[in-house]
Amino acid sequence: MYPDYMKTSLGKVAGTREQRLRLAREKGKEVFTALSESQRENVLSTYHPDYKDDARREVRIGPNKGELLTDRVVDILESRPRDPADTFDLSKVDYEADILILGGGSAGLSAAIEGAEKGLNVLIATKLRLGDANSMMAQGGIQAADQKDDNPVLHYLDVIGGGHFDNKPELVEALVNDAPSSIRWLENLGVMFDKNPDGSMSVKAGGGTCRNRMHSAKDYTGAAICKTLRDEVYNRPDNIRYIEFSPATELILDDKGQAAGAVLYHLETKEYSIVKAKTVIIATGGFGRLHIRNFETTNHYGATADGLVLGYRAGARLLYMDSVQYHPTGAVFPEQVVGFLCTEKIRGLGAQPVNKDGELFVYPLEPRDVEAASIIQECERGNGVKTPSGLTGVWLDTPLIEMINGEGTIEASLPAMLRQFSRFDIDIRKQPILIYPTLHYQNGGLEINEKAETTIPGLYVAGEASGGVHGRNRLMGNSQLDIIVFGRRAGQNAAERVLGGVTTGKLSLDHVRRYSEELDSLGIVTERISPVILPDYIPDHVKAKQITLEYFGTLS
Amino acid sequence: MAETEDSKIKIPYFPGCTLKTTAKNFESSAVKSAEKLGVEMVELPKWNCCGTVSSLASDDLMKHLAPVRDFIRVEEMNEEGVVDNEYRMLTLCSMCFNTLKQTNARVKASPEDLESVNNFMYLEKDYQGKVEVTHLFELLDEMGFDALQDKVTHSLKGLKVAPYYGCLLLRPKSVGIDNAENPSIIERFITAIGGNPVENWEARSRCCGSYHTVENKAIVVKLAKGIIENARSAGAECIITSCPLCAFNLDSRQEEIIREDSEYRPMPVFYFTQLLGLALGLDKKDLRFEDNFIDPEPLLVQKGLNI
Amino acid sequence: MSEERKMVTVYILGEQFSVPESSTIMTALEYSGFQLKRGVGCREGFCGACATVYREKGEYKLKGGLACQTVVSDGMTIARIPFVPAEKPAFDIEELKPDVSTFVELYPSVFRCVSCNTCTKICPQDINVMDYIQDIIKGDIASAAHTSFDCIRCGLCALRCPAEIVQFNVGMLAQRLYGKYLAPRSEELDKRINEIENGEYRKDIDRLKSLGKDELVEEYYGRDISIT
Repeated sequence: MYPDYMKTSLGKVAGTREQRLRLAREKGKEVFTALSESQRENVLSTYHPDYKDDARREVRIGPNKGELLTDRVVDILESRPRDPADTFDLSKVDYEADILILGGGSAGLSAAIEGAEKGLNVLIATKLRLGDANSMMAQGGIQAADQKDDNPVLHYLDVIGGGHFDNKPELVEALVNDAPSSIRWLENLGVMFDKNPDGSMSVKAGGGTCRNRMHSAKDYTGAAICKTLRDEVYNRPDNIRYIEFSPATELILDDKGQAAGAVLYHLETKEYSIVKAKTVIIATGGFGRLHIRNFETTNHYGATADGLVLGYRAGARLLYMDSVQYHPTGAVFPEQVVGFLCTEKIRGLGAQPVNKDGELFVYPLEPRDVEAASIIQECERGNGVKTPSGLTGVWLDTPLIEMINGEGTIEASLPAMLRQFSRFDIDIRKQPILIYPTLHYQNGGLEINEKAETTIPGLYVAGEASGGVHGRNRLMGNSQLDIIVFGRRAGQNAAERVLGGVTTGKLSLDHVRRYSEELDSLGIVTERISPVILPDYIPDHVKAKQITLEYFGTLS
Repeated sequence: MAETEDSKIKIPYFPGCTLKTTAKNFESSAVKSAEKLGVEMVELPKWNCCGTVSSLASDDLMKHLAPVRDFIRVEEMNEEGVVDNEYRMLTLCSMCFNTLKQTNARVKASPEDLESVNNFMYLEKDYQGKVEVTHLFELLDEMGFDALQDKVTHSLKGLKVAPYYGCLLLRPKSVGIDNAENPSIIERFITAIGGNPVENWEARSRCCGSYHTVENKAIVVKLAKGIIENARSAGAECIITSCPLCAFNLDSRQEEIIREDSEYRPMPVFYFTQLLGLALGLDKKDLRFEDNFIDPEPLLVQKGLNI
Repeated sequence: MSEERKMVTVYILGEQFSVPESSTIMTALEYSGFQLKRGVGCREGFCGACATVYREKGEYKLKGGLACQTVVSDGMTIARIPFVPAEKPAFDIEELKPDVSTFVELYPSVFRCVSCNTCTKICPQDINVMDYIQDIIKGDIASAAHTSFDCIRCGLCALRCPAEIVQFNVGMLAQRLYGKYLAPRSEELDKRINEIENGEYRKDIDRLKSLGKDELVEEYYGRDISIT
């Protein structure tokens, strides 16, 4: 329920709706002019959080030494390892596997299935449960250029333009070429994609796309895909084992510099385990729970960029870790849902962002960074609406969706959104929702090639943890695509490497020792420890009494 | 097709689970036959399993929820004008008929039990107790077997049909469609459609073995053989039934009888509505003989009844 | 914020705590000092990790909800259910038929359903759980798949079911069978996959890969946008 003081603004939004509906119905014309390249640069450099002076700082250690990376990311890279290298007796191996996969989201699950297909012995280690990942929460869609009026060349242009032209070309090529067969692969496993009565895929537009190519499963797209992949993993106990509540705290290399396993830490029993593996795939996802610039986030509880730290310490390069994606439409009211994702599909279906006076102020489908910056700009101009908990947002006019597409569209296409807000007495079919950018996606990550390889032999990365696919800004629906394309490629290539014969040398954590020593020699004094593993939401007044608190996270 | 002068009956129809899966031939032949007789069987818009298996629940109240929920659907159909003042619920399957009718009797006799059931299902409207559970045999009897005979266009030419009542159409007495010791309703039905009913054969209401077919099918095979041979020695050329489980035991289990006894001669087993439909001149595709285990076509051809 | 926050009393696994009135059960747990490892996942209502059963003050009804979405009330008593035991049979989906016989084999407990609707009443997603179980019994896999689609596998239904059916596994199978076998085929997808395999777009993509940034910028802003 909206508080009384918002009534005036709500009235204004309702008042301009007819006129904006007419705009939406005009064929061949967009409801608002899209920004040019220089206009995009302008709004980004003035309002996007990434461009603030204190957004980045120089990292002093590791493969990207000397580069300006996102401030919080540098924090975790310049942190101490959780345990000194010689804590562990690496001769006592607890688990062996052909392929060790760190992370149980859709990238990890896809990789596991591919490894199992080749008859290999796969081990997945996850921080929480299998499937507890950002993958499960994705809502609006997965891109693939399968429609008649579309093709992979246009998809390529969209990806690279959205990414500020910084994307690695061979990665974009892999992404767009593998897209249609990824959809088919998922469908063969049983994913229920939205379809038209004639059987063709029901596809919508997303921010920065020039064609409709967003495939969806209502607004539970990520969940439909992730649950299906996970169910398939459960079907292959002979090839795939999984250990839950056991995040990795370090990668293990061998004396030849190959990836050779990981150290796992069980969150409940506090036991450490040593895993020896012929190949390792990092699929640990994003960094939302680092709460960069104190933003709320859409991410799941375990998204603390652990894999980044592990790979970096082992010597893998990062790419574009100076770029943070803020999803333009995070919920901002009521208090209980602040930061929650409100899928871009809402705008894909015709909803328009409007300010407190009911005015459209931006083309609804700019790429995410441009859209987010524009919303922040509008709020800083004083045209936003204040919430009782002190936040500001603009309206996203959802009732338009019913008016444009027909009554019942929201119930059929956005059941998750309808449910989320009706739990708090807001019917999004009749009233708009209040939104503001929220911390959402790690655009960059550990650099990979089109085989999902890093420069460390035997180490692969897939999904949000990787860098280069999306350049400096990801489009909607390309992450769901990324995790399938590169999850499968990581699994296939790791399998190929194993089948080609891998001899693991002597297990070693020397790289961790050297990292610690370098931190010392650089004079970096810190109590911070990484990987962070979990965020810490215990209030100060309780912490003050937790005198012998066991150490967990590195958030200050 | 000349228009029927009888007023059309629109009656709420409860299919039951097997009629939608393993006994599609029962439903198809029934619905189409009813159409010919001026009866529109309106399937309950939402229905649940009658609960016949719910004797597995250890709670006495639970097993009545399923049937009562279906009775509420019938009352709703009336409230919403889907049917007009028609509170009879038509069933085809003997087990559904028996289960539904017994529960209906129980809750109508005990206002406290009805209140308990209604309170438990607080998301539903209360069941008012207006529904009457009826079986198609009863409906046909009510409409008159003479009237039925007049509508027959393809008489069964004296085909010797053994009416198999099984247990649940007759017992317990409180719900039976006819006198349990000496029933005649199915015999009269057979006569009306031009068949020659096998009279008073001893096994006509002997149990087929029911759910033993799952865990202990040897019992069923033995019982089925006994029933079929008893019918045969009384002159039967085929058997009719009104229950998908009886049909499974008498029809499909002949596979095991054949395997055990090389001298055994198979006997076709029909749903009564298949012969009804045949007599009313239905399209062959609606009778779905291909779903019957023992192929009845050779018999029908031999009798000049194939279409 | 320094203003006084209105507080309420809740009982977490029987123990009394004072938490802000606007808390969800999840934030109430964290406010009280628990760092969650079990019973927490996405925190936004998509993963089913935080299933909770609770009673409100003075009410006899046992309610189910997601800790991340349910706001506390004064006097609420709460128990967390981070896991529901259930066996899931392993199968090869290539060998399954999309009809009732698959469920007879893999989930025979479905046929024990007594139509009591207890599962529906406890579902935090407002799914008509009993309806999709009844759909399976009736052999209507498609309807079961659609009705169960929003299930996040929190497990509360299975925990409450007197017939001990594991509804969330049954629904998952129905969805996979529908998606693979019963959904209409999208022919345009097949066509495009073939075209890509035959290299129809290789030349054009190679060309784009070779362009410098300025040329790419021009092509990008010059592409025609045709969306609905």
